[in-house]
Amino acid sequence: MIEDVSKNSNNEELSKCQKERDEYLDGWKRAKAELINYKKDENKRFETMMKFSNEALIRDLINVLDSFDLALAALERDGKAEKGLYLIRSQMEDILKASGLERIMISVGEPFDPSLQEAIASVESDKPSNIIVEEVERGYMLYGKLLRPARVKVAK
Amino acid sequence: MAKILGIDLGTTNSAIAIVEGGEPKILENHEGNRTTPSVVAMSKTNERLAGLLAKRQSVVNPKNTIFSVKRLIGRKFSDEEVQRDKAWLPYEIKESASGGVEVKMGDRWYKPEEISAMVLAKLKADAEAKTGEKIEEAVITVPAYFDDSQRQATKNAGEIAGLKVRRIINEPTAAALAYGLNRQKNEKIIVYDFGGGTFDISILEVGDDVVEVKGTGGDTHLGGDDFDKKIIQYLVEEYKKTEGIDISKDPLALQRLKEAAERAKHELSTAFDTEINLPYITSDASGPKHFILKMTRAKLEELVADDIKHSIDLTKKALDEVGLKPADINEVVLVGGQTRMPAIVDAVKKFFGKDPHKGINPDEVVAAGAAVQAGIFQGDVKDILLLDVTPLSLGLETFGGVFTPLIEKNTTVPTSKSQIFSTAADNQTSVEIHILQGERSMAADNKTLGRFILDGIPPASRGIPQVEVIFDIDANGILSVSAKDKASGKTQSVRIEASTQLSKEEIEKLKNEATAHAEEDKKKKDLAEAKNIAEQTLYLAEKTLREMGDKVSAEIKDNVNKKIEELKSVKDGQDVEAVKSKTSELSLELQKIGQSMYNKNEGQEGGQKDNQEPQQNP
Repeated sequence: MIEDVSKNSNNEELSKCQKERDEYLDGWKRAKAELINYKKDENKRFETMMKFSNEALIRDLINVLDSFDLALAALERDGKAEKGLYLIRSQMEDILKASGLERIMISVGEPFDPSLQEAIASVESDKPSNIIVEEVERGYMLYGKLLRPARVKVAK
Repeated sequence: MAKILGIDLGTTNSAIAIVEGGEPKILENHEGNRTTPSVVAMSKTNERLAGLLAKRQSVVNPKNTIFSVKRLIGRKFSDEEVQRDKAWLPYEIKESASGGVEVKMGDRWYKPEEISAMVLAKLKADAEAKTGEKIEEAVITVPAYFDDSQRQATKNAGEIAGLKVRRIINEPTAAALAYGLNRQKNEKIIVYDFGGGTFDISILEVGDDVVEVKGTGGDTHLGGDDFDKKIIQYLVEEYKKTEGIDISKDPLALQRLKEAAERAKHELSTAFDTEINLPYITSDASGPKHFILKMTRAKLEELVADDIKHSIDLTKKALDEVGLKPADINEVVLVGGQTRMPAIVDAVKKFFGKDPHKGINPDEVVAAGAAVQAGIFQGDVKDILLLDVTPLSLGLETFGGVFTPLIEKNTTVPTSKSQIFSTAADNQTSVEIHILQGERSMAADNKTLGRFILDGIPPASRGIPQVEVIFDIDANGILSVSAKDKASGKTQSVRIEASTQLSKEEIEKLKNEATAHAEEDKKKKDLAEAKNIAEQTLYLAEKTLREMGDKVSAEIKDNVNKKIEELKSVKDGQDVEAVKSKTSELSLELQKIGQSMYNKNEGQEGGQKDNQEPQQNP
């Protein structure tokens, strides 16, 4: 009798230990996996951080590109646009391109797409409704992320 | 297990957060932004849009772009508020069969909760994409003044979006939660929430784990957007004055001006003036025109002074209604992007006579608080293994009585750190490992945990033997220290059970002492280090003289001996500068030995310059 009891309690203890062992081993593996995954995530985060670390600066510099566009348009009207100015503009855009900036190409006559464009006015036009009538400000992406939508006028 | 999403469903913008590793974390939306416009639209191509996309097409599709629906949710059509908002909202609003509100989008009528559900569905989808997990439950916030019907409608919106709403909580309560103020007992908290379109004041009282709303106030049509409008108006008027042109008629010019106004507003929160520079803003008969204007913080404050004063008046009114005075308030919390403006912080501070809480991003604090509440729900499931940190640094005593920490304070345990040490004297065959705990620079000022001796190190010159010391703390806070001589492989170790069993008060005391003595400790440490270098230099000098003394002139030898004596005389004093200067004088003299031997060799061996080493040649 006595032996039986002790055997039972030994068995119980053993299975309790085994259960605990499994639980702890699982916890340990999870902790290790979590660390490895965290490191992977951290690397990814770091890569995106590197890519987008200039985002705020580039966003501000887009305003300078806009001013160039406006200046060139104004000078063109008076026939005073000099080639050098175009070159300075493209020099700057090239530098920004090397850092991942990309212009959103749109053409008049395409339907308006709010995922890449922002409508700033709707105007009377001979074109059908919801068609782009004019691009008033260029839009830009940074490594595929929309930095600024193109500003367009859309037919009523 | 799936995360519960915390959602700040705002009038103009919404934000979402989850708890990760015990801390709330704001999730970016699909477009990469931390807030999402609470806007829904039916586009001209019959596509349903939510968030930023809907906002981008609002100008050309105003009748089918629904924003500010939070102003209508759960209200009766006959409500004064609804009638007032109906007048300026560009979309169609009608009374529903049950006396509620319906809005028209595309060719259908929707209940406000259906519109809110579309915003929530987008937030849910973005959260799922970001976390890679399915989101099924949420905690959603509402203003403290929302009545039962408005709360129920918000809850319904969540259910329509496929979310089980675990709880609707008040926005001010969420903000207080984010700051951990729910743990304070019997405190009165005021939450001053200056958002984009609304201004809310809430007075909370924290009891035993219950946050009770004592009173509310505010203005549902006062917000940061009004500030922007005032700046734009000012800029347009200034331009009209100087250039005689009204640029508000040109949509592109107005768009650029809007952005510039917002940027100026943000910059003036940190700078005292900013320049608004918009080349080629427009043109007239005389050619292109530019916009350039310097705006000061004082000017901005002047433009919005009435609004700020109004907000303080409303705060006072809300307090009066519940019979409280500003001095009765224990904590002040700022919420809403506009509270970044220093003039607002100052006005609130002046009114209450205390510094408001503002550490958490005011645009995100409500969502963060909702996530904290979600975390409390999640906490019901035992999923998080709590890990301790060491409250104080652990390390050992090194040459000169300096304390060298191996495990810095606030390191999460279990952890293990090792470092190689060496001997301080020639032919030293044993080292004493003196284990200490504390933040002071000198060993003597810290608490001794134990010491042991590692002997049997093979005789060698000082600095040659390598003794690896390992500090290991297990999950129970038990410290094991072992030392191993790399040459002989001999090991000694000790286990210290009581290393972290200091009481909270003791730990605080030790930390405070460290801060109090920081300056003096640094001096002691500098002196000890200077002495170490002095010892090393003396050792080198004596060794050099012993080995090469017969190869140099008596004059050089005398000079070196003189400098040795001089250094020895100051070495044990307290004057750091004297020790340092005498040490460098001795090293200069020592270099002469090398130089003279180099010259001698050159004289003897003539041409073979290439092979010569300046220091020695046996």
